[in-house]
Amino acid sequence: MRVMIQLRPEPDVVAAVADPEVTTSASDVADRLPGVVLDESFPPVAVPRPVPRGGDPLSLRRVAFSMAPQDATVLVRGEIGDDEISTRTALLPVAHRQVAGVFADPVIAPGLVCAGDPPVGDWQRVAELLDTAGLRAEGCDGSGVPLAILDTGINLAHLREVLGREVTLDAERSLVPEGVSERPGEAWVDHGTMCAFDALIAAPNATLLDLPVLLSQRPGGSAIDGLLSDAVAAFAHLRSVLEAMPEESRALVVSNSWGSFSPRWDFPVGHPGNYSDNPAHPFNIIVGSLEQAGADVLFAAGNCGRDCPDGRCAFPDRPIVGANSHGQVISVGGVDVEGKRVGYSSQGPGRLSDQKPDLCAYTHFSGSRVYGKHSPDSGTSAACPVAAGVVAAIRTRWPATRLSPAELRTLLQRTADDRSVVGFDYDYGYGIINPTAVLAALRRLEERRV
Amino acid sequence: MTVRLPRDATLAAAARKLGLSEDDVDAGYGLVPLDPAKGLYGVRVSDEAARRVRPEALTEEGEGVHADPRIEPFGPPRPGG
Repeated sequence: MRVMIQLRPEPDVVAAVADPEVTTSASDVADRLPGVVLDESFPPVAVPRPVPRGGDPLSLRRVAFSMAPQDATVLVRGEIGDDEISTRTALLPVAHRQVAGVFADPVIAPGLVCAGDPPVGDWQRVAELLDTAGLRAEGCDGSGVPLAILDTGINLAHLREVLGREVTLDAERSLVPEGVSERPGEAWVDHGTMCAFDALIAAPNATLLDLPVLLSQRPGGSAIDGLLSDAVAAFAHLRSVLEAMPEESRALVVSNSWGSFSPRWDFPVGHPGNYSDNPAHPFNIIVGSLEQAGADVLFAAGNCGRDCPDGRCAFPDRPIVGANSHGQVISVGGVDVEGKRVGYSSQGPGRLSDQKPDLCAYTHFSGSRVYGKHSPDSGTSAACPVAAGVVAAIRTRWPATRLSPAELRTLLQRTADDRSVVGFDYDYGYGIINPTAVLAALRRLEERRV
Repeated sequence: MTVRLPRDATLAAAARKLGLSEDDVDAGYGLVPLDPAKGLYGVRVSDEAARRVRPEALTEEGEGVHADPRIEPFGPPRPGG
């Protein structure tokens, strides 16, 4: 978290800060403050002290402001890790006499992107930011890597038309739930097609697997009317797909841009059958089991960000729920191509695992044209497959037997382009996915292994 | 519902263990292996059938009745939150 720290240094230091002819830096006025990373680019600012003026006590002008060195204080800027904020803010003024106070330093940016806003940039710009040319040059284009899209189904003809090239889809390893009439690759142009398009930005040669679990709504027939059980069946199918692959080339990337919007459809928190907060729910178990078997599982963080949440969001707090917050998945938040969090991207902490989202990827750009020529590929729905494409690209050369999903997840976190605060924060996670840095880290890892 | 069964179990075996008839379990959904190493499987049953399962049928770790919430695509985000 960004903070402003108010200091009361020696009067000569205050005088130097207040003197426009003298250049001072944060480290000149603040001695080492444990747990605080001072922003050296921010010159210290002298702040006057309010002092009583005397005279009429009812006068609105009864307070004056003194810049005298013995009265004034100095502000510096810094960052404290989100997980330490309450401890540090309590301890700093006690342990350091000079610290007069620690204050929030909220971002005052122009409005964040929200639902209904026009696209920011296009998918070619996303490709540039991900350096897909660099990925391809390293042989990382998704060739031979199965990339499963669990969604509303894929329309292959639309993808071919917009991209102007062939797209590979494996119908045999896809799964159409019972009651769904469309064959793999022949769904209506909708959300699932957008997700497939966005996954192909970084992994143009990946092999798509189509699992339209969101089309399979069956009224009745289950304890609480719904569809999560179809996702359970889809994950069981994917585990058999993964286990059928030769061990030396085993890789499977699973992109999930969906979730549960409301506790109304769930057992209450604390009930043994609850989904949102319960790692023992069957879906959360099978997600962990698929990851353990070697799959990279990505979930969108959701569109319930505080700045402009989706109208369907009904969880009163901690909107990253269930498998979207699972410790063995990569939870993906959204940023626009300028690197700013989109206002609807859900913030942590997560319900199953506290440190969510893991990272952010690009969204709200002009891409698949699924919702019309001038409408963006938006939501963390688009950010998730963008990240899944990066993972699939990396898997072209580093299958799960060489780099486990847990190792790759850690690598993605460590190499992410840090935003907002030092290390992890609940807005951006570890930062924006950075394929170039991942490849560099993998090269170093490879050198060490040789 | 989740139920523990031996490896290569059948839907009929799951129904028997739960004290239900084969008509009570969703045959189209089938018996889904959740964690094969631990012998944990999932079946889909009606709300009414779930209520008929006696607690003594679900004594092993991980067994029970679980929510099957509605899931939706996240996007595109809708204004008005």
